[in-house]
Order: sequence, then C-alpha cells, then structure tokens
Amino acid sequence: MISVRGLTKDFGPVRAVDDLTFDVGAGSVTGFLGPNGAGKSTTMRMLLGLDRPTAGTATVGGRDYREHPAPLREVGALLDAGAVHPGRTGRTHLRIAARSNGIPIARVEEVVERVGLGAASRRRIAGYSLGMRQRLGIATALLGDPPVLVFDEPVNGLDLEGVRWIRSLFRECAEEGRTVFVSSHLMSEVQLVADRVVIIGRGRLVADAEVGEIVGSRGSRVLVRSPDVDRLAAALAGEAEVRRRGPGEVEVVGLPEARVGDAAHAAGVAVHHLATVEESLEAAYWSLTEDAVEFRGGHERAGEAS
Amino acid sequence: MTTGSTLARTVRAEWLRLWSVRSTWVLVTLLALFVAGLGAVAGWDAAGGGGFDAPSRTAWEDARFTMLFLLFGLVALACVATAADYGTGGIVPTLQWTPRRGVLLAARAVVVVGAAVLVAAVLLTVAAALVAVQVPGLAMPPGAGASTLGDAALVVGSGALLGVGLGFLTRSTAGSLVTAVGLLVVLPLVLGNLPYASLKAVAEHLPGAGAIFVVFGQGMSEDMTLASARVTLLAWGVGAVTLGGLRLLRSDAGR
Ligand SMILES: Nc1ncnc2c1ncn2[C@@H]1O[C@H](COP(=O)(O)OP(=O)(O)OP(=O)(O)O)[C@@H](O)[C@H]1O
Ligand SMILES: [Mg+2]
Repeated sequence: MISVRGLTKDFGPVRAVDDLTFDVGAGSVTGFLGPNGAGKSTTMRMLLGLDRPTAGTATVGGRDYREHPAPLREVGALLDAGAVHPGRTGRTHLRIAARSNGIPIARVEEVVERVGLGAASRRRIAGYSLGMRQRLGIATALLGDPPVLVFDEPVNGLDLEGVRWIRSLFRECAEEGRTVFVSSHLMSEVQLVADRVVIIGRGRLVADAEVGEIVGSRGSRVLVRSPDVDRLAAALAGEAEVRRRGPGEVEVVGLPEARVGDAAHAAGVAVHHLATVEESLEAAYWSLTEDAVEFRGGHERAGEAS
Repeated sequence: MTTGSTLARTVRAEWLRLWSVRSTWVLVTLLALFVAGLGAVAGWDAAGGGGFDAPSRTAWEDARFTMLFLLFGLVALACVATAADYGTGGIVPTLQWTPRRGVLLAARAVVVVGAAVLVAAVLLTVAAALVAVQVPGLAMPPGAGASTLGDAALVVGSGALLGVGLGFLTRSTAGSLVTAVGLLVVLPLVLGNLPYASLKAVAEHLPGAGAIFVVFGQGMSEDMTLASARVTLLAWGVGAVTLGGLRLLRSDAGR
C-alpha cells in the first residue's frame, strides 16, 4: 500500500508538487490523473526514491522505498520505457535487474512470456518499437512479483491490442490483491480500468475518490428541450436548479428524469426532448481541474502558484 | 538483509552491466591489439639491439611502458561505463533497482576498477611475453612480474577510479573523457613546460605526472618521489570518486 503525506517538491521557484496527501490501497486499480505538468511523474519519482522531497513523505508498505532490501520484490515500476541502454538485449536488461535484487534468473523467462516479448527478448533493445519497449518495462516491473505496481502513462505507444492487454493485466493484478497505481492522460482509459482515482492539478490534490463518486459528483442532470422553458423553470423553482443552455433548452440539476417529466406535464408545458445527461469521468475531470490547469490554450498559467 | 549482501548482488549486476555492451568489448579488443603490437615491436627492437648493458634486465621492464597506454584506454572504459547510464536515461531503472546510492557507487567502483586491473594485468603479461619470446636473454621472473603488475594495478586502478568519479560528476561521456584527457595528458604537458615554477608545481600534482613517474621511475622535476607520485595518483582517484559520489548521493536521479 502506498501512503503519501504532505508531499512537496520545489524545482527552484517552481512548486511541482504541493502538500499532497493520499493513500492507494491494495486490491484495486487507482488512476492518477492530472493535466500536463500537474506533478504526476514527480510524485511517482519521489515515491521511488529518485527525487528527494522538499517536504513530506511517500512510503510503500509503511517504509521508505530505499529501505526495502530488495525493492523490486516490493514495488514494480515503469516510469519511462525509453530510459534503457539500447545496446543490450531485453533479456540481458532483465537479467541485470534480477541479479541486482537477488531474483532467480528463471523469472526472466516467465515475465518475457507473460508480456509477450518472446523471441524479441534476444534482440538488442535498439531495434524495439515503442510498444516493445513498453512491454519490456512492464516485464521489469513484474520481475520481482511485487505486491505494488506503479506505472507512469503505460498505454503510451501501445496499439489497440496492447491497450486491451494492459487493461486486463491491471485488472488481473488488482484481483490478485496487488496495489496498482497508474497515471494517465486518457480519462476514458482510466474510467475503464480504475476503481479509484486521485486527481491532481498544479501539484495539489483535486479529488481522491471512487470513480463512481466523481462521476456523480455534479448531481444528476436532465436535459430538456421545450418551446416554453420559462414556464418549466418556474414550475421547478425551489425543487431543482435550472440552467439555461440555449434557446429552448435547459439543464435541470438534482432531479431524476421522471420527476422533471411529471412536473412539465403538471404545468402543461410541451416537452420535445428529455434525457439524463450521461456523465463521463472526462467531463467531471474537466470541471474539477478547470482552475488547476497549468497550460491552457490561449492563456498560460491561469492564476499564480503559491 | 545486510549491506554486504546487497553490495554483493549489486556487484554481480554491475559486472553483467559492464560486459553486456559492445563498447566495453570494442575498447578492450582494440587495447589488446594495440598493446600486443607494442609488445611485439618492443621485443623486435630489443632483439635487434644486441648487447645487454644491464644483466639484471627482464622482459617486464621492456614491456613496462605499455602501462601508460593501458591507463589511457582503461580510463576511457571507466568514463564510458559510468556515464553511459546518464546518456541513455538508464540511471532511472538502475537506481530503481539499487536505490541505495552509496551501494551503487561502491559496486560500480569495485567492478570497473577490478575489470580494469584485470585487463591491464593480462595485457601487460602478454606484452612482456611477446618481448621474452623474441629476446632469448630476457626472462620473466615472477618477482619482477609481481612488482611490475603491482605498479600497473596502482596506475590503472587509480585511473579507473578517476574515470568512475568523472563519469558520476559530469554525467556525460564526452565531458568525462575530455576532463580525463586534460588531467592525464594535456595539462601536465602544457603546465609542465611553461617557464613558471608555480605552474610546474601544479603540473607535478596532476594524475598524468604521477602516472609517468610511477611507470618510468623519473618525472618532470627533482621534487617528485615515487611515494609522492603514488599518493598523487591515488588521491586523484579517491577525490574524483568522492566528488562524483556526492553528486550521486545529493541530487535527484538523472536531473
Ligand atoms: N528537473 C526539473 N526542473 C524544473 N522543473 C521541473 C523539473 N521536472 C519537472 N519540473 C516541473 O514540475 C512540474 C511537474 O512535472 P511532472 O513531470 O511531474 O508533471 P506530469 O504531471 O508528469 O506531466 P505530464 O502529464 O506532462 O507527464 C512541471 O511544472 C515541470 O515543469
Ligand atoms: Mg509525466
């Protein structure tokens, strides 16, 4: 289990991670979301002892990563699949990792098979495609059969089949009781695979909740088209919030669609369209991180870092 | 688990890391061909030279000068082996596998210095043998061999330590190579030949000057002794690895 407490990282005047506190539990997939530059990679690097926090702590299984005598048996992580010496074969890369953590060499064959690298593992990494490097990185993460897995943007460069494969791998790992912590840009991807999400923006925690909670956080919304939205709004006043969306179109927040339809009927308002708005994680994400985006088209750095 | 067993595992991993890239094999092969060639030429020269002035001369002495070339080649190997991790970004997985940086530093130093000393000992022996087979009067007595190989171990070992230190300090293959060439060749030559006593004194304390004294038994000035030359060499190796280690320990990985 991962535990982050008051984690802060400054790069000179830039505060990349700002007083983050959250936990990632075992047996589920936790998505780690945030716009570019939000501090996801920096948080993961601090978790793995690569960067020194300015303040706060990040522990795995109650201990600092560096205190684990054989860290690959505790945490498997893939940060940047391209960060490997291209001159070695995939197999040799894995053998070095195995030796460094006292993992039996036989495990190398197992993980090579599990990620589908097969015969390519005997070739030099220089000739690997992006997807093959990604698979090699995942093989390295699985090498020590660790209870905790950490991936930074793992679907980058994978084809459709690869994306489906990695999705099922994460689910399998979670079902085996492992802690799976995955950062991503792709909300739709996270919605498909994650049980929980931790959302950060400009280094700060924005949300830490079940996917369902976040998706439902804005309340149920019903879209209504009617030639007489004013009367409908009057009829619903006090019961729900009514937002104008355009001519003859309103959004009713906080009431199920049946109640909205009944109210329209009672008021004698004609209704041309009535439907609950399907909430996506992406939309919820946008509304949550609106104030927390570092780079947005047109105006960089809305607001100032404090 | 103790630091000792972590270190032992890391040494095994670092040994494989060193010998699993082409650059290591290319460098060692080129160096082997070059030093063997030097040994053959030295033997041919001695065989044609006729009269032996010193009856106590051995083949070891005739091959001794190859130490200097072994030093240059193996310092380059140490620089490349250490800095490559930074060029490729491989330092991130390396430190993920061995997050205790002091252990990584120690393991890499042990492996690179060990490999360099081993290669130097083998190649120097080959060079001496190539002299001995061509000159019937020159033998390879074990006593002289031990002292020659001991000097080679000091010169090449200190040099490899310097290379490892510079690799961690500069985090760049080119940067560490240029610095090494500067300290071993260019600066001692340039400063030592300028007409200023103070600069000459600086030159004497550079690792290149120390190496030349240990190899040839005489140096660029009367002030140097074998002991001072040895201390100079070792101090540069230990100093560089200390500075490189501080950078490794203190800063964020690969930043
Ligand atoms: N070495 C560094 N020096 C200075 N600033 C840095 C450094 N590394 C990261 N930063 C800054 O820290 C912030 C967080 O970066 P980080 O890479 O953690 O974001 P991220 O959430 O992973 O972004 P992305 O989605 O683009 O990968 C950014 O503002 C970035 O510019
Ligand atoms: Mg990132």
